[in-house]
Amino acid sequence: MSSKYYGSRGSGAPSWYLQRVTGVVLFVVAIGHYILMHYHIDSGHTYDAVLARMQNPLYKMLQITFVVIGLYHGLSGTWNVFRDYKMPGWLSWTILGLLYTAGVAFAGLGIATILSF
Amino acid sequence: MQVTFRIQKYNPETDTTPYYKEFVVDGVDETWRVLDVLEKIKGSMDGTLTYRRSCAHGVCGSDGMRINGRNRLACSILLKDLNYRNVVTLEPLPSMPVIKDLVVDLSDFYKKYELVKPYLITKTNPPEAERLQSNEDAEKLFESAKCILCACCSTSCPSLWTNENYLGPAALLKAYRFTFDTRDEAPEERLDIVDTQDGIWRCHTIFNCIEACPKEINITWHISQLKKALVNREI
Ligand code: SF4
Ligand code: SF4
Ligand code: FES
Repeated sequence: MSSKYYGSRGSGAPSWYLQRVTGVVLFVVAIGHYILMHYHIDSGHTYDAVLARMQNPLYKMLQITFVVIGLYHGLSGTWNVFRDYKMPGWLSWTILGLLYTAGVAFAGLGIATILSF
Repeated sequence: MQVTFRIQKYNPETDTTPYYKEFVVDGVDETWRVLDVLEKIKGSMDGTLTYRRSCAHGVCGSDGMRINGRNRLACSILLKDLNYRNVVTLEPLPSMPVIKDLVVDLSDFYKKYELVKPYLITKTNPPEAERLQSNEDAEKLFESAKCILCACCSTSCPSLWTNENYLGPAALLKAYRFTFDTRDEAPEERLDIVDTQDGIWRCHTIFNCIEACPKEINITWHISQLKKALVNREI
């Protein structure tokens, strides 16, 4: 059978499913974020207000989850857009490598920032 | 009544690029089909005009072409369904190599069709009479079985325009038709075939295929059933 019609083997189902699940989670978390940040009685944008909120470990956990899920969803979506184009192997590996690097770097930066509070 | 057809012409033996030629056709009626007008042009105005057609009744799937920017069957569209008082533009199906005028090379389309094993695979010995199927199970296949392989859907799919390796809606619809046939004994084999990055996962539910299908098949729904089966299998 021609290899022409076969992109990488290995099921695409888990990443397709995860993309949808993370999309729903992000939607819900983003609404929560807006309510908390802008419409809640305790909303506050001052450094002190943020610092006070960040003392709660649960809130920190939520922020870390937000960063990780957001990065996964965004970068996996970007990869999906690239995959719509037919590319030579070296180019797709390069793009994938860059996306992974960006993911690890931004996750590290985000988590370090959250933990520094 | 008179109608003006603007047709994309291209003869690879003499032309370097495709061009448009206008034909003003007299003595037509708004109940004429696009195919009737083409026959009149070929018969009395330009014998070199090349297009495919066979049944002329929406059954064989030969005369898919781009009519006023939409993929349709020339034999199933009446002039009155078009804005025929303006110029009617005919072009070959997009994204396929043009062989001549309105005829495109569908080898790739058929190759992908073949890849999904569009036939019943059985491994057990046949019963005395026939392999039975309930009415309810047969009904699940009726819509997908209406496909006439005209390629209007696959050539309208943006995912296929950007990635020629993508299997495309027609092949995936065919995969559904046999994977969900209760008499088939190799659904896993077929699911394996569509479950690749250039297989089913390049479908982003853009719905162009549904708009193009002359048989009004809800192709995207059928593709989503395959996706569901794969998610259930893998997760
Ligand atoms: S629904 Fe899927 S197959 Fe149909 S046009 Fe869109 S991407 Fe292509
Ligand atoms: S699904 Fe519809 S548009 Fe696609 S090949 Fe079959 S009949 Fe043609
Ligand atoms: S000529 Fe057969 S479908 Fe149009």
